[in-house]
Amino acid sequence: MSISLIAEGITKEFPGVRALDHVDFDLHPGEIHALVGENGAGKSTLVKILAGVFPPSSGSIRIDGKEVSFSSPRAAAPYIGVVHQERELVPFYTGTENLFLGQEIEKAGFLGKKEMRAKALEFMKRYGLTLDMESPVSTLSSGMQEMLTILKILFRSPGIVIFDEPTAPLSVKESEILFSLIRDLKASGKSILYISHHLPEVLSLADRITVLRNGKKIATVNAGEVNEAELIKLMIAKDLERQYPKTALEPGPEILSVRPRATSGAVAAGMGFTVRAKEIVGFAGLVGSGRSELAKLVFEGESAASHQVELGGSAFVSRHPRDSIAQGMVMIPEDRRGEGLITAFDVGENLSLPRLRRLSSLGFRDEKRIAARCGKIVKDLSIKVFSTNQAVSTLSGGNQQKVSLGKWIDANAKVWIFDEPTQGIDVETKSEIYLIMEKLASAGAGIWFISSDLRELESIADRIYVMNGGRIVKEFSRPFPTEQLLEAMLGEGKSEKETA
Amino acid sequence: MNLKKIIMRYGTIIALVLIFAACSIGVQGFFDSNNLINILTQIALLMIIAQGFTMVHIVGEMDLSFANLASLSAVIVAGLLIKGMNPFLAILICLLGGALFGLINGILVTRLGIPSLITTLAMGIIATGLIYMYTKGVSFYSGMPKSFLYLGRGRIGPVPVLVLIMLAVLAVCHIFINKTVAGSHLQATGGNPSAARLAGINTRFYKVLGFILCSLAGAFTGILLTSRLGAANPEGAGGFLMESFAIVLLGQTVSSMGRPSPFGTFIGALIIGIVNNGLTLLGAEYFMQDIVKGLIIILAVVISSVQTKRMKA
Repeated sequence: MSISLIAEGITKEFPGVRALDHVDFDLHPGEIHALVGENGAGKSTLVKILAGVFPPSSGSIRIDGKEVSFSSPRAAAPYIGVVHQERELVPFYTGTENLFLGQEIEKAGFLGKKEMRAKALEFMKRYGLTLDMESPVSTLSSGMQEMLTILKILFRSPGIVIFDEPTAPLSVKESEILFSLIRDLKASGKSILYISHHLPEVLSLADRITVLRNGKKIATVNAGEVNEAELIKLMIAKDLERQYPKTALEPGPEILSVRPRATSGAVAAGMGFTVRAKEIVGFAGLVGSGRSELAKLVFEGESAASHQVELGGSAFVSRHPRDSIAQGMVMIPEDRRGEGLITAFDVGENLSLPRLRRLSSLGFRDEKRIAARCGKIVKDLSIKVFSTNQAVSTLSGGNQQKVSLGKWIDANAKVWIFDEPTQGIDVETKSEIYLIMEKLASAGAGIWFISSDLRELESIADRIYVMNGGRIVKEFSRPFPTEQLLEAMLGEGKSEKETA
Repeated sequence: MNLKKIIMRYGTIIALVLIFAACSIGVQGFFDSNNLINILTQIALLMIIAQGFTMVHIVGEMDLSFANLASLSAVIVAGLLIKGMNPFLAILICLLGGALFGLINGILVTRLGIPSLITTLAMGIIATGLIYMYTKGVSFYSGMPKSFLYLGRGRIGPVPVLVLIMLAVLAVCHIFINKTVAGSHLQATGGNPSAARLAGINTRFYKVLGFILCSLAGAFTGILLTSRLGAANPEGAGGFLMESFAIVLLGQTVSSMGRPSPFGTFIGALIIGIVNNGLTLLGAEYFMQDIVKGLIIILAVVISSVQTKRMKA
């Protein structure tokens, strides 16, 4: 039942990026081994390689001393089960039906429902769980669904179970049930790989902890021998050179203020924030902390009920992106291909889209002015294209991003929202994007800059707000205390009662 | 540009030229001015109604109701004329009714969030119900004024008025889509609604506009159909639904990126028209037309999907 896993020299290259760099990792039989690191450290890449989602570029994996290479998650399933954040359940099937999905008990071509039900109950009891196995899964609470997912994975009796951020959708009480289940699994001899952003739960649960940073293994430590602060120190780099020198600007008057309205509900709304002219204001937080959601809420005109917004000294009233644009706010969305561009359109069409009304007379497109403007933007932002008739889908990620933001360049916006503008972009274009942002700021705009790359925020931003659990929890000014920033990002999301 | 690229880019137009050349050489009586005008007359109604369908396709929605609406408009205009109404007034009533029909389609889709496939299927059924309510199942076939019949049967010199109307509709649609701001916004709405919305475009408005234009073309085609036949029967325009599908799909392959366009739809209509005509002249039995049409649609969709895959690569 107990099996061990040894991965040696695992390297994974993606075009232009080395996601994992000679990582060694081992899992003893019957231990809980936690994997921690910042966003982009390589945790999920490692999990995907272990689970057979894709092969490593180099390196070997041995299970019980035998070298293995899984061609697919299905091939890995008898050895390694992965509990993902997404639950792979058929919502209108019952718990039993989900449990047996793909390996139903058959009797002369008919489903052996009775037997399956009995077996499911017996299996559930073995893990000390009481779940409703007869109702459609969609009627169960999210915690119950999570338990069922885990049960389904255990049903394939793998020796190794990987938990990837399992507590994210769970309540405190449900998390406790999960922890005791994981301890039971360990006691029954399973080997557990546990991935989480919540360091306190990692410290209380794990036997050993491996820290990844920038695709490299930094250390493997015994959980009893470290505390939270020491872990954080291992997770972040202190000796990193600042690649992007920040030009210091004297900030101008306040240009945007967003304050949550005092809600009648018990939930604390968190603090508000401000952006001043010539200022780049960073928003840090984990995925799902609510940074993009807040930006979309304001820009897409759905903030009236929950927030009081002022832009350029007067009340900001918006019910549609076009109202926001008219009042001087533009947004470069995170999902470039899905929301920033029209991929079936060419570069020129994408660039001119929001400005067509101004580039027309009597409703007819003024092709001369449109072409002149496009040519100027392409040149000013050095977008690499053969012609403005080139399909935007054929451009590199960096050039696509330049098109996505270039369409607003002459809109005289007071506030620019950049949502993860450098994600998936090569290093060179990244610094070009930073330069564009600084140029916009020095021309008097306020920049609302969302990023998951903490080093990038620390280099470019004048101030940083940290979001956690849907609320702004803390504000930081230069010089940024990296450890406290991380703590605020990783913490339990308690609102700090302080005003900006 | 290598041969493969040229075929991918201009394949549909090359196919049209080849089919035209083959028919001219191989089919007796094809390359004759009377026959060529005859082909244009045969595709005129289909081309006009398919321009409307193209608009709905451009905004990324579906409409299954426009052919039923055309039948409804055909019987109503006939009924009103037989009662002695002024032709201009009768036409105006049908066009306004069509626009209202499209508005309802658009509002149901954009405001209530009912998928357009279901909305327009239901609206099409309602239109058919209204037809039988109005006609009690009988056809209208006499008593329409000459001035009205001129639209569908008249000629200016050698050219039928119907063909001129078709060319005018094509020109207006082509200019509207390619040269106006509204046309660009219509295309952006279909190309990527969220990106268009974030660029400040009122995508709901343009979706509704797409439905209105489609229904307007349907109502107009119904009027022309009655004028051409001098009669109207309850399901006279029903066949236009599938035929429009065919030529709009075919027309999409005209653009390099697989986008629907008025000009592409015209090319599609020409291909189908020439193939039908050629087969008839060759004495092929009527069912051959359907079989060949089906094969052409499959070919068009295969080309389209290859284009889309290449775009994503």
